[in-house]
Amino acid sequence: MDIFVLLLRGFSNALSLENLFFALVGSILGTLVGVLPGIGPTAGIAMLLPLTTLLPPIPAIIMLAAIYYGAMYGGSTTSILMNIPGEISSVITCVDGHEMAKQGRAAQALAIAAISSFIAGTLGLMGLTFFSPPLADLALRMGPPEIFGLVVFAFSMVASMSGKSLLKGVTSAALGMLICLVGLDPQLGADRLTFGSVTLMGGLDFIAIIMGLFAMKEVFQNVGARVGLISTARLGSWWRMIKWSEIKQSLGAIIRSTITGFFLGCLPGCTPGIVTFMAYDLEKKFSKNRANFGKGAIEGVAAPEGANNACTSGGFVPLLTLGIPPSTSLAVLLSGLMIYGLQPGPLLFEKQPVFVWTVIASMYIGNVMLLILNLPLVGIWARMVRVPYHFIAPLILLFCFIGTYSVRNSFFDAGTCLVFGFIGLFMDKLKIPSLPLVLALILAPMMEDSLRQSISMGGGSLAILWSRPIALALMGAGFLTMVIILFGRYRRAKAEVHLGTEEN
Amino acid sequence: MKGTIILRLLIICSILSLFSAQAMGEPYPTKPVDIIVSYNPGGGADLSGRLLSGYFSKVLGVQLNVINKPGAGGVIGVREAMTARPDGYTMLLDCHATSSMLAAFQPGKLPFEWRKRTWIARMTKDPVIYQVRMDAPYKTLKDVAEFIKKNPKQLRWGATGVSGVGSPAGIQFFRANNISLDMVNRVMFTGESPVLAALAGGHIDFTGQQYGPSWGMLEGKKVKPIAVIAGKRLPLLRDVPTVAEEGYPMLDVHGWHGLSGPPGLPKYVQDYWLRELEKAHRDPVFHEMAEKVKKEVAFLGPKEMEEFAEQEYQKYLALAKDVGAK
Repeated sequence: MDIFVLLLRGFSNALSLENLFFALVGSILGTLVGVLPGIGPTAGIAMLLPLTTLLPPIPAIIMLAAIYYGAMYGGSTTSILMNIPGEISSVITCVDGHEMAKQGRAAQALAIAAISSFIAGTLGLMGLTFFSPPLADLALRMGPPEIFGLVVFAFSMVASMSGKSLLKGVTSAALGMLICLVGLDPQLGADRLTFGSVTLMGGLDFIAIIMGLFAMKEVFQNVGARVGLISTARLGSWWRMIKWSEIKQSLGAIIRSTITGFFLGCLPGCTPGIVTFMAYDLEKKFSKNRANFGKGAIEGVAAPEGANNACTSGGFVPLLTLGIPPSTSLAVLLSGLMIYGLQPGPLLFEKQPVFVWTVIASMYIGNVMLLILNLPLVGIWARMVRVPYHFIAPLILLFCFIGTYSVRNSFFDAGTCLVFGFIGLFMDKLKIPSLPLVLALILAPMMEDSLRQSISMGGGSLAILWSRPIALALMGAGFLTMVIILFGRYRRAKAEVHLGTEEN
Repeated sequence: MKGTIILRLLIICSILSLFSAQAMGEPYPTKPVDIIVSYNPGGGADLSGRLLSGYFSKVLGVQLNVINKPGAGGVIGVREAMTARPDGYTMLLDCHATSSMLAAFQPGKLPFEWRKRTWIARMTKDPVIYQVRMDAPYKTLKDVAEFIKKNPKQLRWGATGVSGVGSPAGIQFFRANNISLDMVNRVMFTGESPVLAALAGGHIDFTGQQYGPSWGMLEGKKVKPIAVIAGKRLPLLRDVPTVAEEGYPMLDVHGWHGLSGPPGLPKYVQDYWLRELEKAHRDPVFHEMAEKVKKEVAFLGPKEMEEFAEQEYQKYLALAKDVGAK
């Protein structure tokens, strides 16, 4: 097979000292960028973009790509240890990951995150290697109605994330949608909820909101509760921390999340953030261990971590074959390619095979490097839970401010982060869950855009939404899921009332 | 007594010396210069900023930092540049969207007088190409116009809202054919990339976008170019006629990028940049770098740039109502 030969040649190039060095640098920087709350791969790639004037194209792109997928390895670290997401794609990892940390199983969580990321990332790369062109065409055929269907399906997850009170969950989601409205209407530029302020016209940055709601709130709460350490469990050396039985248990989750993450990653607009939520939710529905989700189920860490890495591999499909970046980080990477005069698109594979296959080969190598980097570090990271909180807390706050400022070079964003820290405290007191808010924040812009575009495409009527099979199927699945979940809740509520009356 | 006089003289001299460098006007720049790009990294304006930045660091050893300040269709970044200290260390990556288009399409939102910036030079142009989906039955601009007239409300036209060339390019075309906007379905997207992806996927039928962002799709034959707004045919698209050849010489929406500064920029800063940019536009290295990001080098000095922007403003003002300006 031609592709094998091309890939092997790519490996022989990627294994040169220079390319190995830059893959390593990118992996380390990516992990760092992922760990630091607020600073994501977009900022990391943008900051290093000027190096494109100094380096030849292959090592530079190898390094920038490594930052992108490396960040998905690093993001889970702070999520698990401190309930603080490194970036949006690590938000859902906090749920089960931090529970595991509190139970003294931080090392297992970190280890499975690394292993899951590796397996999913590598499998995703194989998809990229062998199936790019047909996948890219499939991705193109997903137009606004199909994206709308997908978003409706994703929104059905609000029901399962609402905890005990569905009303509070929906309130949280509604709040998220309200926050989304602030700024300019994405299509015609009308200002909404800006109160005449130019700054508000730029909207509220969602990284700032998420960092506020999770990181800041967590610090405020822990400081208020005078937490001394996160966990007092004794920890042994790292290789004794990982149990094979747990890895086997998670394999199902890893494979399922790889498939979800990879295919969704090919679609424009499907960022790793959205994909992690969907993979977690799907896993919760299909896993044998579903009762433990939310209480420290290892699959609850394996699924989102696998999904976000498969998604990064998937994201390269439309980027390299069509020149369409499905997320902002890849858009920056695209500009790096253009600076070298390398136009990604259908002809890139034909005209620049050496470049393409060397970069793809180095991504396999990068994933191996990241696994090697992250596993032994598991022991060191895990020990951080024993560092007195009064050292950690100020550092977290510092990095949050730096990170949120760096997104748009805006002090307003850093301020937003702080304000949402307090809002997060308030929501906690009222027992309003914050996950639906985050979900709505991510999904609402996509929903608005795709719905309006679909209506315009259809000449002003909604009929287009049910005239296209894929869109219809997705929306149907969404409604069905909602119905099933609501029914399940209704039955549980009835059972509780029944038990209550029996006891009387 | 003598001591205090000498002391006072020393103090005065040392304070004055702080101003001397700027009063003399050299050397400049002594530290990195920030260039504000009012859009996200990866977009057309960002690429132009990095083009300038890359060129200046390579050829002159001058560090030009691209600072992205996106938001509000460009208003946030421009406001930042307009209110910055005019000391030459904060400049604006100016373009069609941060000047005339902003003023014409978002007049209610500008907390500044847009003409008051220090215009320095326009460096590049990005021609607009009208494109249709690959399997469309219409092959020329006239075909498209006929199709719309015979089949109202069928054509799906992709545009990018109030900032960007897509909306005005389309509207000019429709007006030239006496087609009113309710005969087409305007589908709005948040950027050039999604419009082109939708066109390639067959979800929309027609659009007009800049050459740079369209190149990948054009090269890969995922979209069909039917006319280009330029003086002569593009070297890499020899089969694509110009709008003049197609009978529409009045269509003239295009993108451009250049450098401006906050109002009141000292003369020595203006002279420096004008001199260097003037040299750059003759330098084959700059041409090579611009070609890589698919931009055509087209230099205009400060006065010409200001006049050009004013002309564009009048042009866009005429289109504003249809674009949806507020």
